[in-house]
Amino acid sequence: MSSMLRVENLESGYGSMQVLWKPSLEVKKGSITSLLGPNGAGKTTLLQTILGSVEPSGGSIIYEERDVTHSPTHEKVDMGIVLAPEGKHLFVGMSVHENLIMGAFPKEAKKYIDASLSMVYSLFPILKERTKQIAGLLSGGEQQMLTIARALMSKPKLIMLDEPSQGLAPLLVQLVFETIEKMKVEIGLTILLVEQNVEASLKAADYVYIMHEGRIKAEGGPEEIGASRDIREAYLGI
Amino acid sequence: MILQLLAGNLIHGLLLGGVYGLATMGLSLIFGVMNVVNVGHGAFIMVGAFITLTLFSVLGISPVLAIPVALLMGMALGFFFFYTVMRRLIKAPELASLLATFAIGILLEEVVKLIFGADFRGYNWGLGKIVLPITVIPLSKIYAFIGSIVIALFLYFWFSKTRLGTAVRAVVEDSEGARVCGVNVGWIYALSFAIGIGLTVMSGVMLTMFIPVGINPYMGGVYTLKAFVIAVLGGLSSPYGAFFAGLIFGLIENGAYVLFAQIPGVAPFPLTVSLAFWMLFFLLLIKPTGLLGKK
Repeated sequence: MSSMLRVENLESGYGSMQVLWKPSLEVKKGSITSLLGPNGAGKTTLLQTILGSVEPSGGSIIYEERDVTHSPTHEKVDMGIVLAPEGKHLFVGMSVHENLIMGAFPKEAKKYIDASLSMVYSLFPILKERTKQIAGLLSGGEQQMLTIARALMSKPKLIMLDEPSQGLAPLLVQLVFETIEKMKVEIGLTILLVEQNVEASLKAADYVYIMHEGRIKAEGGPEEIGASRDIREAYLGI
Repeated sequence: MILQLLAGNLIHGLLLGGVYGLATMGLSLIFGVMNVVNVGHGAFIMVGAFITLTLFSVLGISPVLAIPVALLMGMALGFFFFYTVMRRLIKAPELASLLATFAIGILLEEVVKLIFGADFRGYNWGLGKIVLPITVIPLSKIYAFIGSIVIALFLYFWFSKTRLGTAVRAVVEDSEGARVCGVNVGWIYALSFAIGIGLTVMSGVMLTMFIPVGINPYMGGVYTLKAFVIAVLGGLSSPYGAFFAGLIFGLIENGAYVLFAQIPGVAPFPLTVSLAFWMLFFLLLIKPTGLLGKK
């Protein structure tokens, strides 16, 4: 499999506080790459830096063999790097439909808007029933699905999911992970997944990185990572 | 007799209210998108008035044509001040943007004074008037009212139906959410500031129809204050709320004038000026999110 995204020695932070201390990772085309680690490890910051909403101060980001380290966020979204952010960041005063339409804001995505709509409605039938409802009035689980659906509307090639199962009931967590599998197998997306749910992530992932204090501490196949007592005890707390 | 007077004044109040509404939409838009309170707001209204005056009395161009000119010049000013000043202040503490817009207001006033002097000026469009049994309405006021409504409706459709307008609403709701959707948020800030200023300068054109000899470099201050009250009435970050609040404000202001005039020994005009602040005081006491505001 060829490389979709390569992050090399990335550095970034907020003001004078450095958060990322040169982590490097690779996401292979058509794979699910899982990024695990405790709270405050810098996982969200890494995704935000890849997307450009946090400006990198060092290192490089190579996407489809192009250097996009300092490309502005909207250009990266146009190229197919899309984030379903932690904390959802939905447009709570707009309807479900309008949120999805905003997802198709990139010019390229706009051309496929009808196909994308029927695709996300078949992935998340509940959203079709709620299409005219105001996003702020959806349940937590429905909002999480809308966040993923909105990201899918942007015609991603690489979709980054930041804690998609956070705060969801076990049944919904299962649904979210089934959807992630479908996104890989049926739609052919490349997925970079940040999760707290270690067991489910190890089950879904093709490759796993362990992040701690802004650095990559370990990497490997999910069986290998799951089998290592040291890694589980030191970084995953299980 | 008093009822007749009241009804007549309410008609004038409604017409002026439409212009107040338009004059506040820009303030609300800029606040909604950038969280910046434009303290120099009134100075941009003044610029619109001087554009109208100059076009009419120097070049003989109709105030109707001053509207698009005002929009273009307002947007140009908006882009200029955004890229030179405001862009640096989006993430700065609020005091910085308050001071900066205050300074921009003074700068505009002094530049206009340098060019035109500090005298009160005016012009006479000479359109004629409609004579009703209860009052006489100059046609120009009706034009200003219709113009304000047309512009407000146009803005409404731009916001709700176009791709870019929806993107502006998205930035108002959640700028980070808009960013991950691929919206160039920096450009939306610039565009919204320019449109906000453009609307404000256009409202200055409309306002000249209500102040026959009131055009002066320092005329803006009172409209800044009124716009603040109207913006709070309308729920602060909603341009439509601002427009309706403007109508209500115009009605109350003009209606109250007639009633105040009935109180013996009271000068009605200063009392009317203070009314805005009584309204603000009681509104904040009763419903701090604004009359039409949500939550």
